[in-house]
Amino acid sequence: MLQLVVNGLAMGCIYALVALGFLLIYQAVGALNFAQGELVMLGGFLGISLAVGLRLPLLVAFLGTIALMALVGWVFQRVAYYPLRDKPFVAVIISTVGVSIALRNGALLLWGPNPLSFPSLLGDEPIRFADSSILPQHLFIIAVTLVLLAAQYLFFTRTALGHQLQATAQDPETARLMGIPVGRMIAATFMLSAAMAAVAGLLLAPVFFVTTDMGGPVMLKAFVASIIGGFGSIPGAIVGALFVGVMETFVAAYVSSAYKDAFAFLILLLVLFVWPRGLFGEKISEKV
Amino acid sequence: MAALDRETSPTLAAPGPPPAAGARGRRWRWLAGGAAGAAFLLVLPRLMPGSYQLHLLNLAGIYVIVVLGLNFILGWAGQISLGHAAFWGLGAYASALLTTRLGWPFAGGLVAAIVLTGLFGVVVGIPTLRLRGHYLAMATVGVAEIVRLVLVNWEPVTGGALGVKNVPPASFGPLLIRTELSFYYLILAWALLALLGAWQLQRSTFGRILQAIRDSEIAAEVMGVDAPRYKVLAFALSAVYAGIGGCLYAHLSGYISPDTYGFDQTVVFVTMLVLGGAGSLAGCVLGAVLLTFLPEWLRVLKDYYMVIYGVSVLLLMVFLPGGVVGLLRQAISRRRLAISHQPSAVSSPLAESRADAPGPGPMDG
Repeated sequence: MLQLVVNGLAMGCIYALVALGFLLIYQAVGALNFAQGELVMLGGFLGISLAVGLRLPLLVAFLGTIALMALVGWVFQRVAYYPLRDKPFVAVIISTVGVSIALRNGALLLWGPNPLSFPSLLGDEPIRFADSSILPQHLFIIAVTLVLLAAQYLFFTRTALGHQLQATAQDPETARLMGIPVGRMIAATFMLSAAMAAVAGLLLAPVFFVTTDMGGPVMLKAFVASIIGGFGSIPGAIVGALFVGVMETFVAAYVSSAYKDAFAFLILLLVLFVWPRGLFGEKISEKV
Repeated sequence: MAALDRETSPTLAAPGPPPAAGARGRRWRWLAGGAAGAAFLLVLPRLMPGSYQLHLLNLAGIYVIVVLGLNFILGWAGQISLGHAAFWGLGAYASALLTTRLGWPFAGGLVAAIVLTGLFGVVVGIPTLRLRGHYLAMATVGVAEIVRLVLVNWEPVTGGALGVKNVPPASFGPLLIRTELSFYYLILAWALLALLGAWQLQRSTFGRILQAIRDSEIAAEVMGVDAPRYKVLAFALSAVYAGIGGCLYAHLSGYISPDTYGFDQTVVFVTMLVLGGAGSLAGCVLGAVLLTFLPEWLRVLKDYYMVIYGVSVLLLMVFLPGGVVGLLRQAISRRRLAISHQPSAVSSPLAESRADAPGPGPMDG
């Protein structure tokens, strides 16, 4: 029981990181990034290459991966978002879908079709506690996510750069008038988002493995989580993600592992029909 | 036929006759164009270098039907549905299961596919179309994922991950449609019918109401339009088109499995529509044909072809945001501008249909 809860929370934390990366971009530019799941995958694979391929110490490999992924985030916004910044909503969806196809198949060429993993920082010896055994990596995932969320909260509320990023997300025109370099802020948002995806990839690799086609399901689940929480609301997305993670672990254990994904979507639909703006809904006033 | 041809070959007729030509000249031009188009479509399968290319041509025809359907809801009504693979799958499975398990004739399977997808479209459309923008997008993804998971896991009925084998070829009574060539004419007939239907709708009140909803749902409602009803109707019609396509696909390939009904397939349809030019019938046809053949043209790249495919989708979107049709329109209006100096507005039909997202302003670094 406890084991399932920890398992589910760990998975939920991963979804929360992915959802957060997603929402950062959405809030900054109003675009949906359909390649967010592939960025998670790329982060995982790069970590494996640095840690296992180049035999760098794990911590160095982690930091290297995050730095590389921030770079990927910059290139990504330059290529897939910037040229389409004043085009309709669907155009950015399609361009990010194009990137996701290219990344998925590129990863297949570079890393092959087999699921890969690398050793956990804390070892694989389960901790026994009241007749349930808990993997240290699961606890590690939860701890790192909590630290990251707290750090991000402080970053956005207490630092000048964080304030500038927020201002850009809220109203780019006014932000520009205030002398904020809006273009650079948007680039920074994409870099931060890709770095978050990298962390998610690194955290999940030791226990959940990295495969080339993991991006789609991870992205859909993070998407479901952010919609359940109310799109645009960061606390909502975190609650939604933890809920999805725990729920799917329990459904897989007690109901049917085949239908665990269907449950996530069923709950999504239920929530949407009952509270069309999600649990912590974003406030939208209709423009005429 | 002449009318149809305007849609299939916009370069031919779009500039229009010079004003002096008069109605008679115009009619002759249309007839000639139509006859040429018909002749071309009839001999087209003979021009294909091999049977595989003919198969692709058949696939392209099926995709044309599905994309024309998607255009009703996405291109005209401006509602982002990312769940069309569900209707495509439902049509395919309905007909495949009825013909293999219960021995129904092909026509029966086709009718069942049409009825079932239409009903499912209404049932799914009523609750989901209350949502907008990315909520609608996500709800439709959710519906499609649930349908796919049922197809994979309801083994006694759907055959599970193994799919349905030995789907019989199409037939009408004693007339058996087995070869790729005979399938071509069946698919051509359905694609033309689908195009004719869409073309009639485009000029009808129904089509205009949908476009009014896309441009401003509130304004349309103020004018007395029952917007939810029209959106559901468009969605159901769109589902029926996808169902017909799915059914033809099942009988053409003889084997179906749940892999072909996932989110990736929806993405293929949406990409075809947007790259062709959403809102335009010619765009639907061009997008479907172009993206069916694009992976084949890239196959010379061996292992790299899917990577390049992804990159070319990105590049096409960046450089042709109005789709292929947008590019053609621009070229034509530029030529007209050069001739008559008359300003003409060129706008992408999706340009105003942003989701209710907080719109990003124009940005520069």
